[in-house]
Amino acid sequence: MTAEQVPTPVDEVLSQLPGLEISRVSGSRVKLRVPGQRLPGLLALLKGQAGYLHLSAISCVDWPQTDEFELVYHVWSYETKVMVSAHVRIPREPGRYVSVYDLFIPAGYFERDIHEMFGVEFEGAPDLRPFVLTEWHGPPPMLKSFSSIDYVEEQYDWRDYRPDWLADVEQRGGGIEET
Amino acid sequence: MAGKTIPIESDPNTEVACRDVGGEERSLLRRVVDQFADHCRARSLFVLHYCTGCGAIELPPSITARFDLERMGIQPMATPRQADILLITGYLAVKTLKRVILTYEQMPGPKYVVGFGSCTINGGMYWHSYATIKQLGNYIPVELYIAGCMPRPEAIQQMFLELMARIDRGEARAWEDYYRRYDAYLAQQQSLFGTRWEGPTDVVAEARRYGLLEHQTLGPHTAHLERYAPYHRELGVPLADKRGSGSLV
Repeated sequence: MTAEQVPTPVDEVLSQLPGLEISRVSGSRVKLRVPGQRLPGLLALLKGQAGYLHLSAISCVDWPQTDEFELVYHVWSYETKVMVSAHVRIPREPGRYVSVYDLFIPAGYFERDIHEMFGVEFEGAPDLRPFVLTEWHGPPPMLKSFSSIDYVEEQYDWRDYRPDWLADVEQRGGGIEET
Repeated sequence: MAGKTIPIESDPNTEVACRDVGGEERSLLRRVVDQFADHCRARSLFVLHYCTGCGAIELPPSITARFDLERMGIQPMATPRQADILLITGYLAVKTLKRVILTYEQMPGPKYVVGFGSCTINGGMYWHSYATIKQLGNYIPVELYIAGCMPRPEAIQQMFLELMARIDRGEARAWEDYYRRYDAYLAQQQSLFGTRWEGPTDVVAEARRYGLLEHQTLGPHTAHLERYAPYHRELGVPLADKRGSGSLV
């Protein structure tokens, strides 16, 4: 058995849970596809047995093709120096998932952010009040179904800009292409 | 303040009127003094630069040894209450705009806002962003714009020269528009922040102080400020309906 074959603490943890789809992106990154109900257990195991004390971020992806949200939990261990990204897919309707605030306190802010930007509800999250948007009354703006341009057209008006040089250009058959 | 009409009778009931302005003050001598004051003011400008997004590369060379704007009497200033120029460099998120308006309202008049870069003119490269405003001039009166993304320090220098010339000639009076048409500016602000929006400054009282209270100063949108200052009852301006006509215009 060479040194490379010695199981790392990460592998040991991962071997304890069934149903994981593991792919090694590089020596310091592991990507996991996790069934929704296994994620809190996985994070608890990683935290307890492999020193994964640091939740770097939770990110969210909206997949309109499959009507799903993909939540990505990035955890980092100062012991193993391997980044684990755990991908969970949840259905857009009702768009509910569990909070991991009890495992990682910073998750509170990430979940609040995702709740505001995507409308995902996190059960057990301490605080899901509006976060960074100012007086926002529209739909969650990071959804793929949200049209930023339509919103802008409705909310703001434009300054007319017809300089002389543009008229010259248009006379010669050019101009600004309206899409 | 050449050409400014000082009202002959100031309102004795207002606590903000410092003194009665007599007719003799509007004399020729007074206008000469005003012109001299404008001339001096143009040569001592304190700039508050509100670096919202950009401009952190272009402004230091303008201010420091390379172009040295201080030789023209232009100096950076740390607080809005001592500044003459509010330099808005770059895009403004809705959230930032709120802070800009609070800052602007704290500046004493005469005050000059300079929109710096394309974003303040028509949204710039953030034209399709839900989070940034498109025209700064809708929310506060802008004296001058510098087009470009980003404008070079030479353009900043050119702008300051133009601004100085305008102040010297007594033409830089866009700031008075905020008092004259406060209702329209407030309407735009309320369309973003809602009708409960309020600044720290009593703009209507300032408008009276400057003698700039006109029929467009008060209106249906300033009526939402009624709970802070009851000018409408005092001045006999009819109140708008309270159902929240904040998203007008």
